Amino acid sequence: MRRRDTSDGMLLLAAPLLTATAVLVVVPALVAVLFAFTEYDALSPPRLVGLANFRTLWHDPLFWMAVRNSTFIGVVSVPLRIGLALGLALLLMRQRRFSRAARIAVFLPSVVPEIAYALLWLWMLSPEYGPIGLALQATGLERHNLLLSPWGARRSIVLMGLFQIGELYIVLLAARRELPAELYELCAMEGVSAFWTFRNVTLPLLIPTIIFLGARDVAWSFQATFIPALVITKGGPEFATLFLPLYIYQNGFEYLRFGYASAMTVAMFVLTGALVGLQIALLRRWGGRQTERLEPRPADPST
Amino acid sequence: MTPFGLEVEDLSKRYGDARIVDNVSFTAAEGELLVLVGPSGAGKSTLLRLIAGLVPHDSGTIRIRGRDVGELPPARRETALVFQSYALFPHMTIAENLSFGMRARGVERARSDARVVEVATALGLDPLLKRYPRELSGGERQRVALGRAMLREPELFLMDEPLSNLDAQLRVQTRGEIVRLHSRLRTTTLYVTHDQTEALSMGDRIGVLNRGRLEQIGTPAEVYHHPRSLFVARFIGTPAMNTLPVMAMPPEEVEWHGHFIEIPKRLQAALGPRAALVLGVRPEDVSVQGSRWAQGAAPAEPIAAIVDLVEPAGDQTYLELEVHGSLLVTRVEPDFRIRRGDRINFWFHTASVHLFDPRTEFAVAERGTA
Repeated sequence: MRRRDTSDGMLLLAAPLLTATAVLVVVPALVAVLFAFTEYDALSPPRLVGLANFRTLWHDPLFWMAVRNSTFIGVVSVPLRIGLALGLALLLMRQRRFSRAARIAVFLPSVVPEIAYALLWLWMLSPEYGPIGLALQATGLERHNLLLSPWGARRSIVLMGLFQIGELYIVLLAARRELPAELYELCAMEGVSAFWTFRNVTLPLLIPTIIFLGARDVAWSFQATFIPALVITKGGPEFATLFLPLYIYQNGFEYLRFGYASAMTVAMFVLTGALVGLQIALLRRWGGRQTERLEPRPADPST
Repeated sequence: MTPFGLEVEDLSKRYGDARIVDNVSFTAAEGELLVLVGPSGAGKSTLLRLIAGLVPHDSGTIRIRGRDVGELPPARRETALVFQSYALFPHMTIAENLSFGMRARGVERARSDARVVEVATALGLDPLLKRYPRELSGGERQRVALGRAMLREPELFLMDEPLSNLDAQLRVQTRGEIVRLHSRLRTTTLYVTHDQTEALSMGDRIGVLNRGRLEQIGTPAEVYHHPRSLFVARFIGTPAMNTLPVMAMPPEEVEWHGHFIEIPKRLQAALGPRAALVLGVRPEDVSVQGSRWAQGAAPAEPIAAIVDLVEPAGDQTYLELEVHGSLLVTRVEPDFRIRRGDRINFWFHTASVHLFDPRTEFAVAERGTA
């Protein structure tokens, strides 16, 4: 078969994905960018307004509230999620009696449908009959209504995210298993402590994976706040859980200000990019010079 | 009496029903280079890890310089392990890789730096100290791994196939370096390989492992010339020893497809009546008529064979002879004119043949030995 045929074939195979990406992602994104410079209520045709939407945005206190709330999630939730996933991956790496069941338990919350998951938490956190509130009460603490205080509501959203770490966990587990066993045997022979090994061997070698997951998780955290905020807290109390995706949704689909919502989407995109960039820079500096993948190991000709 | 550098007694390790290391006992003298050789799955690497303490043993004792280390954690056994994959940290420079153990143990910086430079210079690694492992060749990486083991100042070196990831030429060269290094340091070394050529050329003594058991241990010459079992006979030496099923014809012959082969006196006691035996003949002891390398005079009735394969190897040519449905390997001088399909005559140089019991697969007792 000639070479050209092969690449034609590959293009053909990739075509469904490329088409879907173009139609469902690239084109809407471009349309959103265009709408950002218009006023559009879906009833009358869009009208060009230049930078007016962005000027309004700049002076909209609720927008800045949403930025703060979303950034809070990105800054607090992402490190916690990755830290927890890494901890569980290292803990459950070895084959022990219950490690298989534990691994399934870690992954399971990530496959529950978003709406069902949010409703479940609504019940868990319910001030009347929610098990979390009752447990707090049983320990002698005052019945704290997590969802009715701004402080508690925002943290409840973070808490919900901490259980949906199945993917992070799987990727980190795989990355850790890829690290050569000999490096750890060497550490054992030198008698170094587990913490030293973690700090000087495991963590630096996992940094490339963590950078990748962190960048992805910032974007995830921004978007994943939408359903819990919509279902559980409706943005309240006192706008404490008004996150960017919710505010965008409200402007677009409740107030029919599509132009304004589009401008905010562009702003959210820029903010995501900035946070991801900052995070990569921090992790690179902290994780040392090595950000490349481990070289593949040569084939083992014997035992 | 000085204690042995390493004593292993009745050491065993099972995984489930599989006996990976099965009652292995041996000793290595202080300063000896002992090579353990065996095919994949023979238990070599596991044995090494049992001695290092990385894998707990089920039973048996391990003593290093007379000190029972069986229950000690790896770090307190005073051994250093050199890995086949080098096990260098990809995110550390060569200097950091070398000083790894000292940093972990909290040796002060100035002292560890001085030691690193000293060892790096001895190994010719000093220009590479600031580089990363990925920037080094396989041979250089292996030297870094050796240097790191040296910096440990162990009482026992354990080497797990340290040359297997190198190309053929570099392997021979590094082999020499390790032997020279050993003769300078004189640290007891247990070296594991699947390559019998490596074992024969490096070891003061070699031990042959098969399916978790130590089948024979001795000098390279002993193992080559007096293999204790069929396995050792076939595993040590390239090309492998020819093994033929024969029938004992007391008092002094065996019969193979109608040919009567005279057995040297030292083996004649083993020739029981109508006993099935296995005759072992090294390729160099199969003499081809007309070859300058043929040993002894041609007998009255040489055996006829057809040349099935001619395999020139530079300084010699290997022949595979087809005779009575089986293949025999021999070798002739490189300018011996022969082609595939030629008919030739050959005979066995019977002074150095071996006899094995096909039931036990062990060599039959020679007269004058136990």
